[in-house]
Amino acid sequence: MNHRLRMLRASVDFAICLAGASLLSVGVVASARAGDHVPFAARTGVDVTAAAAHAWSSDAVLVYVENDESLDTSGSATRWGYLYYSPLLEQSRAYSVRDGAIKVAENLAMKFEAPPVGSNWIDSGAALAIAERKGGLEFRTEHGGTLTTMLLMRGAFQKDDPDQTTWTLIYTAPDAPSLFVVIDAAAGKVRHTWRG
Amino acid sequence: MTVVFAKTLPGRARGALAALVLLFAVQAVPALHADMVTEVRVERVKPPREKLPTLRFLKENKDFIRARFDLLRERLVDRHVDGAPIDPRFLAYQRLLADVMAADDSAAVTAERRERMALLQSITELGALESQLDLLEQLLGDQRTRLAELQADFTGRQQTEMVVLVRGAPAAEVDEISLTISDGATLRVPITAQERASLAEGGVLQIFHGMVEPREQLIEVGIGGAAWTAGAPGFMTLEPARDHLTFLEIDLSPTAPGQGGAGVRATTWLHDAALPTAGG
Repeated sequence: MNHRLRMLRASVDFAICLAGASLLSVGVVASARAGDHVPFAARTGVDVTAAAAHAWSSDAVLVYVENDESLDTSGSATRWGYLYYSPLLEQSRAYSVRDGAIKVAENLAMKFEAPPVGSNWIDSGAALAIAERKGGLEFRTEHGGTLTTMLLMRGAFQKDDPDQTTWTLIYTAPDAPSLFVVIDAAAGKVRHTWRG
Repeated sequence: MTVVFAKTLPGRARGALAALVLLFAVQAVPALHADMVTEVRVERVKPPREKLPTLRFLKENKDFIRARFDLLRERLVDRHVDGAPIDPRFLAYQRLLADVMAADDSAAVTAERRERMALLQSITELGALESQLDLLEQLLGDQRTRLAELQADFTGRQQTEMVVLVRGAPAAEVDEISLTISDGATLRVPITAQERASLAEGGVLQIFHGMVEPREQLIEVGIGGAAWTAGAPGFMTLEPARDHLTFLEIDLSPTAPGQGGAGVRATTWLHDAALPTAGG
């Protein structure tokens, strides 16, 4: 009996090591792809893009954030995209930030009248840690999946309470439906998850 | 004496007051801080820019996301809303105004007393006069502090802005200067005979003053006139510093009709927005 328990414990330890190695490999791949650019959390790019957005239109508000490059294990990316909407101009303008500077600035061709995100939202690192605990790590371990997308917005993924600003994390795997984890970005709580 | 003209550009110009400020800025900054003036490379060919995709998920799923937004149409509802708190600075201005009035009263009383004291010659009264002078000095000090507070509020919040100046006169007559900032709308600034004469005398012309995005900006400058070849612009790459005023000065002197905008010389510097101390 003791022997079987020891075997079980060893198996569990091995599984944890495997998960850790998997987590590490995501980071290594992301870092290798990033080249010399330094990964940063999503909120870091808000100040510089807000200054640019207000030069574009004084009423511009932040409505959407998405990683433009691969994410690492701490929820950082070497490039993040930020979308601002101006009710005055009825236009949206996107900025992509890398190394603390705006590398892309372009008007969105489509009409995208999105509500502004709240000012109080957890950063991408905290959101990732929550998602990992609530199914993300398990998904990646079981299906060899990766976290491909993190996006911050209001309304679209939280039908029951569209006022909530939410982080949506999308995990994909080659042979399994993707995992979506929606987190209330103010409270830091997972609101729902689904596969699709 | 350098003369500065500020061109009024619809929607982006900031008014003639800026020209007065520029008069000092243009004259003083390059002379006092020559080491802070940087030469800007002017190119004949538009430099290639890195093309990076952004917001891929949003663009790939735009129909889905927009459909979700359609479900979130706003409805008018009755709601009791409490008033927002007043910015404490607005209350402070009231206090500053009251202080100014009080200072005026004190100054008037002091002046009256001083007139009376001029008739008196005793040592004691001269001592009192000295006290009054101390009071006046204190009032002036307070006034300086108040002015510093106002200055910090209204001039300390520099946003990312750029001023484009033109100086120099090439051999051939220039009728128009065109300016395009990062694929935006092209500004066409006509040059009058009076302005041409001023440029020839060493004057400076302001052709743009407005907010710009704090990122690498591609600036295209063209020169128009009977002798000038159309479609020969010059390209400059400049990154205006965030929350600062960046000057770009274009010197037309070295260019010739065959070179167009690519033959100009350009320099840039940052306007120092540091506030003076309350003590002056």
